[in-house]
This record gives sequence, structure tokens and C-alpha cells, in this order.
Amino acid sequence: MVRALLVTAALAFVLRGQTNFSRGADGHPDFSGIWQSLSGADYGLEPHLATKDWPPGAGVVEGDAIPYQPAALQQRARNFAARAAADPRTKCFTLGTPRGIYNDEPFQIFQRSRDLTLLFEFGHPVRTINTNNTEHPDGHIDFWLGDSRGHWEGETLVVDVIDFNGEAWLDRVGDFNSDALHLVERWSFIDRNTIRYRATFDDPKVYTRPWTIEVLLYRRLEPNVQIIENYCSTLEYDQYYPVPSTK
Amino acid sequence: MKNRLIFLGVLAIAPIVSSGQALRGWRETSFVPAPKGEWTGARLSDGQPDVSGHWSNTIGNHNNLTDPQGPLGADDEAPPQEGRQNARRIKPRNERAPSRVSAPADGQIPFQPWARAKQQEFLKYLNNPIKEEYVEPFARCAPGGPTKSFMWHGYEIRQYPGSVVFLFDSGNRVIYLDGRPHLPTSLKLWNGDSRGHWEGNMLIVDTTNNNSKARLGRSGEFVSENATIAERFIFDPSGDRFTYDATYTDPTVLTRQFTITIPNRRVTDKTPVDDWNNLTFPAKHAGTAPIIEAYERVCVEGNGNHGQVVTASK
Repeated sequence: MVRALLVTAALAFVLRGQTNFSRGADGHPDFSGIWQSLSGADYGLEPHLATKDWPPGAGVVEGDAIPYQPAALQQRARNFAARAAADPRTKCFTLGTPRGIYNDEPFQIFQRSRDLTLLFEFGHPVRTINTNNTEHPDGHIDFWLGDSRGHWEGETLVVDVIDFNGEAWLDRVGDFNSDALHLVERWSFIDRNTIRYRATFDDPKVYTRPWTIEVLLYRRLEPNVQIIENYCSTLEYDQYYPVPSTK
Repeated sequence: MKNRLIFLGVLAIAPIVSSGQALRGWRETSFVPAPKGEWTGARLSDGQPDVSGHWSNTIGNHNNLTDPQGPLGADDEAPPQEGRQNARRIKPRNERAPSRVSAPADGQIPFQPWARAKQQEFLKYLNNPIKEEYVEPFARCAPGGPTKSFMWHGYEIRQYPGSVVFLFDSGNRVIYLDGRPHLPTSLKLWNGDSRGHWEGNMLIVDTTNNNSKARLGRSGEFVSENATIAERFIFDPSGDRFTYDATYTDPTVLTRQFTITIPNRRVTDKTPVDDWNNLTFPAKHAGTAPIIEAYERVCVEGNGNHGQVVTASK
């Protein structure tokens, strides 16, 4: 009897463990919250040793190397050489998708049944992941953040992203994609405070085959933590406003 | 998105062009007050009136704060000339919308004398910004600030238990409803730090931590980083309209408080598309329910002064 109770209790614990995360009114996992990557992926998606500019990292690419076409590999080398000025981040441009997810500033997810709203601290832009059975709009559109349409596969949010402008970089060392990128993201909970984020890149202009990254996103748990707007692009001129003489 | 950036740049430099286009089918010349009464629409799970969706002001853009459909400066008051691209007919003052400054009664901001002089100086150099400080920050893709953001393109409200989120054409804003304390006072932000609560159909918001770097109009009105804003979003019972009231307190710049009033109306699938107030388009889907959505709002890639905005059309 005691043994049966113990088994039952253990089973209940395991089952509860499997669903130990919030759900929305629609029953789907609820990713609402403020999230941040500790992966170091923004310093370089591939494995990298430390420099004076960044710490070492084991990389987040499955198989370690991004399968670039030869010409694209040369482009990455040019990007790397010019990175101080050419990285869109240093120009305060919107980081794009997926770089906005794993860069080292947090982002907030607001979730409704019809969509997820991702508000990024860096630049303070908003990306919408539509989950209302809508499709990508017609034509190619040059978006920084792409056009995102998601659906649920069990407990995983699967997001199809196209319509990139091809101007965003993927990290600080010049990894990149073109406007032909087709990104498929898979978002799932490991536990209530940890998201497993996977993204598969398919871009026939740049890579020889699809490739995948995986990073974990951690929930920010500080009391009253909030996204503080970082309109980075205003920093170079905000000294002139509102009126210099009131300073 | 590049073409939107160019659009913003053109508007910032020559708002005269936009005004004529946008008047069709949308702009109103009086402030239609939101009818009073108990909320009849849907509510969120936490009881908030559901005001989510697309919205726009009904009066005009940020060109002129106190005469929203009037001219701005001597050039703008010149009579239309045949063939001039920016020529438009300006109606007599009594046929135009009133000042957005609803208090004091004279419709003007109660500036201290030095601040009035500074506002006039901004206006004088608006189209000839010989110093950095004369460049209107909005022309550099800066956020519009808590109030002026409602004088620009249509925008979207998204609502959640505990927060209301505004997605503007230039910048975004979160209003927390959960009673949390404000950020430390030393943190000054373009869109401030907002705490709100609902009283019936009215969303009442306390906005502090303002850096006040965004002006209140291209006409040059401004406040200082000591300003606090008491905002009221007064929704009608059906959620078709709301009146935005913002009362500014700022002893650094003002002799007394003032209030800005901006009328707003819901954008639906039936609203005429003018690419200004209504930036939405029908979503592509297999169902029959009308779903409208808007393109991403990103305005940073040509960041710089007026000239650089123009060169962003590469």
C-alpha cells in the first residue's frame, strides 16, 4: 500500500514536472515574461576563443561550423575585418531575427492567443509572431525582423520567418544571411523559467545546406524587473535636447 | 523598412505634402468628445475594458501643436501657387480644429518668458537648422515622446493582464498596471516610465522619468526633464473613440500646468486606407473574419539629421 502510494506520488511528481510551466487561457504554453540569453552567441555563433573584445564561447551551432558557400565565406571575412564600423549593432540598427533573441540584452514577451509580441531592449523595437492562422503577406518585403507566422506543434511553438532585408548580421564577428533567408524557430519550455530556442537557417544564396543553432533563454526574476528602453540610435545626438541651456 | 523611412523623412521635411493627402475621409475639424456611459464591449480576464486594436488621432499631425490644421511659419502661410507641390488650401481659423492645448483657455502653453523665446527660436530655425539643437528629433527617428506619439501615424494598442502596450510608428511604450514602483528618478527616458490603472472606461496613467527630448510639435513647444505627465485615456462605452488628455507639470519651463487633448478613433477593416492614419492592411488567411495588421515599425537605419534622412532613399 505504502509502495503504491509512493509510486503514485512519484508519477504525479513526474507528470507535474512535465507541465511545470504557465499556460494561457487557450491551453498553450505561455512564454510571457522577460528573457535573456547567457549563451554568448552574439560574440560569435561558432566556437571562439577569448579576445580583448569578447569572452570565449563553445558556440551554439550544431556541428560547430556554419556551412557557408565559398563566396559567402569571403564576405564574412570582409565583415570581420570591417566589424567595428560595419556591424549593424555598432550603428544601433535593429538587430533583426534571430540576433535580437540571443544578444546580451533582455527582451520581453507579451502573449495573447492571436500573437506573441517581442519587445527588445536594444533599440526597443517590436517583433510580432502571429499565431492566428494568418499567412505571410504577398511579395518579398524587406523587413529587419522578418515576417513571423507561428503555429503550435504540441507544446512547441514553431515559427516560420521570411521577408528579411538581408542587412542584419547574426553576431559581432560578421556572420550573416541574405534576404532569401528562411528561418524556422522552435520555442519550448525546459522548465517554467527556461526556454529552449532552436532556429534552423535555410538560405540558398549564402549556405550550402540548412543549419541549426540552439540557445537557452533564462527568465529574469529580479523583483519588478522591466525592459528599460534603449533607443541606442538616439545616443549620438541626445545631448542637444531638449534645450542645452536648461542643463 | 526603407520605404516607410523615406515616407517619414519626407513628412518631417515637408509636412505640407502629407496634410493635403491625409485630410480625405478621416480628419475631423472639431474634437468629438467620447460619449459617456458604462463599458459595453469585451473585457480582458482581469476585467480591463478591451481596447486593443488599431487607432489613430482624428485631427492632424505633429506639425503645429496649437493650430493642428493651420500653417506653420511664414512660408506655409503664403498663398498656394499653381504647380507648387506643397501648395494647399488652408481654411479660415474658425473652420480648423482648435488648439490641442485645452487648458489654459487661451490654447497656448504657459511658458516662462525664456522658454517662450526658446520655442520661437526653434520655430524660426526649423527649416534651416544651423545648430544641432534645431533639428527636430523626430526627423532623426527619435521616439515621439508620451504625447506627441499620438499626433503621428496610426498606432496599435495591445493589452494584457497587468499592462497596456502602445506600438507607435516611432517608438513603443509599456504602461504597467501592477502597482510596481517607478524606475529610479535619475533614469530619464524618451517615452518616460508609466504606471496606470483603470477607473471605469478611463485609463489613468502617471508618467515620470521623462527626458523630454522630444518636442511637443514641430512648432517647437517643449518641457524639461523635470516634467511629470498625468494622462487620461477616456474611452467611449463602445470603444470606437477615446479622448487623450495629458496634464503637464514642470516648474522649470512653465508658469502653471497645461493640458493637451487629442481625439482618437478606432481603425477597423472598414476605415479608409490613407497610409497615414490607417497603416493597416488585410491579413492573408483562409477564414472569413476580417483581420487587419500593420508592417513592422523600424526607423533607425538612416539615423542622422535631415540630410541623412533623405540619403536613406539609396
